[in-house]
Amino acid sequence: MKKFIAATLVLALVFALAACDTPATGGDAGDAGSKLTVWCWDPAFNLFAMEEAAKVYKQINPGFELDIVEIGWDDLQTNLITIAMSGQLQALPDIFLVQNNAFQKNVMNYPELFADLTDFSVPYHQFGPSVVAYSTIGGRNFGVPFDNGAAVAAYRLDILEEAGYTLEDFTDITWDTYIEQAKDILAKTGKPLLSGGAGDMDLICILLQSMGASFFDADGNPDIVGNEYISLAFDVYVQLVSNGLMVEVNSWDEYIGTFNNGIVAGVINGCWILGSVQQADDQFGLWGITNLPKFSNVSGATHYSANGGSSWAVASSSSNVDLAVDFLTQTFGGSIEFYENILFAAGALANWLPAGESDVYNEPQPFFRDVPIYALITEFAGLIPSNYTGVYYYEARDAIGNAIVLVLAGADKDEALKDAEDTLRFWMMQ
Amino acid sequence: MSHAAKRRIGTAFRYTFLSAVSLLSIFPLYWMAVASTNRTVDILRGTLIPGTEFLNNLRFLLEGQNITGAMRNSFVNAASTTLAALVICSLAGYGFEVYHTKNNDRMKIVLLTAMMIPFATTMIPLFRMFAQMGLLNATLAVILPSISTPFLIMLFRQSTRSFPHDIIEAARLDGLNEISIFFRMFIPTMRPTYAAAMTITFMGAWNNFLWPRVIIMNNEMMTMPMLVANLTAGYVTNYGVLMLAVLLSTIPTVIVFFLLQKSFAEGITGAVKG
Repeated sequence: MKKFIAATLVLALVFALAACDTPATGGDAGDAGSKLTVWCWDPAFNLFAMEEAAKVYKQINPGFELDIVEIGWDDLQTNLITIAMSGQLQALPDIFLVQNNAFQKNVMNYPELFADLTDFSVPYHQFGPSVVAYSTIGGRNFGVPFDNGAAVAAYRLDILEEAGYTLEDFTDITWDTYIEQAKDILAKTGKPLLSGGAGDMDLICILLQSMGASFFDADGNPDIVGNEYISLAFDVYVQLVSNGLMVEVNSWDEYIGTFNNGIVAGVINGCWILGSVQQADDQFGLWGITNLPKFSNVSGATHYSANGGSSWAVASSSSNVDLAVDFLTQTFGGSIEFYENILFAAGALANWLPAGESDVYNEPQPFFRDVPIYALITEFAGLIPSNYTGVYYYEARDAIGNAIVLVLAGADKDEALKDAEDTLRFWMMQ
Repeated sequence: MSHAAKRRIGTAFRYTFLSAVSLLSIFPLYWMAVASTNRTVDILRGTLIPGTEFLNNLRFLLEGQNITGAMRNSFVNAASTTLAALVICSLAGYGFEVYHTKNNDRMKIVLLTAMMIPFATTMIPLFRMFAQMGLLNATLAVILPSISTPFLIMLFRQSTRSFPHDIIEAARLDGLNEISIFFRMFIPTMRPTYAAAMTITFMGAWNNFLWPRVIIMNNEMMTMPMLVANLTAGYVTNYGVLMLAVLLSTIPTVIVFFLLQKSFAEGITGAVKG
């Protein structure tokens, strides 16, 4: 027994000592001359893009080094809050990725974390205006746009053809035509055109942004009651669901399953969804993409919108802000070679418009019947109206999500929207 | 119907019911194991038959993720947390009960209150403290906050009650000092309690996510729960790989639980081995 106790204590001591030995390198690598630390998520996408960007930048700055830490967005957000609240800014990396919809919220809540990039030479005019708007607060720029969230409408061409339609019949159309044709396709083939999570706000938000509309007015106050745009988006949503044109599911996995399994004949979402669409290799050559239906008789309505996307932020605490901005500018905002490298390997699409002119972007894609979808999506990206997201974007999404569930269950639309606005104001403590 | 026949029917019914319930509780584990051998598309299509993708998923994990490092880190964290927690909390629990004073009781109330404070509220001050001590990205920072928990101290204190104080008196008469009494009389007698505490602490430390995620900011020191979380954070989730990682992450806690299962039950109910 004595030996056991001794061994236990020795082991504990060894572990403790081993723990003490670990160098406390910290999140920032600012002290090293040309080394940057980056936080981002998704190895196949953002991490890969960062590694490629580092390779490209090394040609200009041979001594450049990049340390990329993998961390999911939810956890990254937790860390940002923890660091900001505790005031330990030295724990920040030099560069971190922020979801576009959460960018304004974070800059407004924790302005001390973000370096102001306005006076650096980032070529903002070469990005679509809507993606720059996400990371612009009070006329100042705090981010370099990266991940393209341009919305696409993708259709199973074989099912459309079975019902006597082509992709042209779904290009440059209005929502009225869409619903008309979707009913016909459902009757002839038994397949709905759309799917989405029950109470999930992706589609509503896509519809709203296609009109440049938001849940807030320009001053950031809730603008839900009497908002004609929200009312129109609700009407389309309710028509889609109540006519069986859109299948509502309970989880993201089920959602992916609806098109992977051929339950539905189309998808409307951010272009990143095409990665999941292409997982079903038995549907090779059966898909086509085009722009979204638009609202008729609405000023500012377009065929273009976005869902998601993300932008790079530079930490104000970084001792290498100049290097970090130069690195982002020369690669994400200046290298066609870089965007060509990440296109096929990661399916990462540029928000930087000059990349759309590259030959690689214009190559036909066999999965989508030889259409050069990447050039097409980059073109869409330049035409998206911008909208205000603000601090309470996600709260507004939740409130509206509850309202749509109530309306689908038969509640009065205006009352549900009134409740949603009251809830949102309560959350905002107004 | 004869008595024997009635009993047979009763038994049959009982077994059918128990089998159904067992199947129900085993199904998620089965599904996880099956999913780890399939492709994402097949998983989403609802397959329940083992597939042929196991090696591919494993290769993806080994090549794309630092899985061996994460397993090692999780093990080092969980093992050292467990060892340290057992020593510290059992000493504290023992002291509370054996050297009983009025102030001890007041202290107990403070401890019980501390059990009610959720970790999320203490996380930011804790982070500030560790950052200022220069312990960001240090194993020590992961271990320290969980080596002394009110729950474990109370568990040891409760079970010390069933430890015969006559043994302590006898040992004192035989000339053992207080520390030796603890190590040579108390620990060997209270093995079931230690087993229970070990199981609980090891599982807790192995699955600990929030604090390590906040304090660890590099890939080399990533733990298994962090790795699993990262696998779900991509734009396209590879469910086969994810399920394989979850499966691998479950194995150590399962082993610890099964090894200590018998003592665990005894320890929780407060039995003393004579």
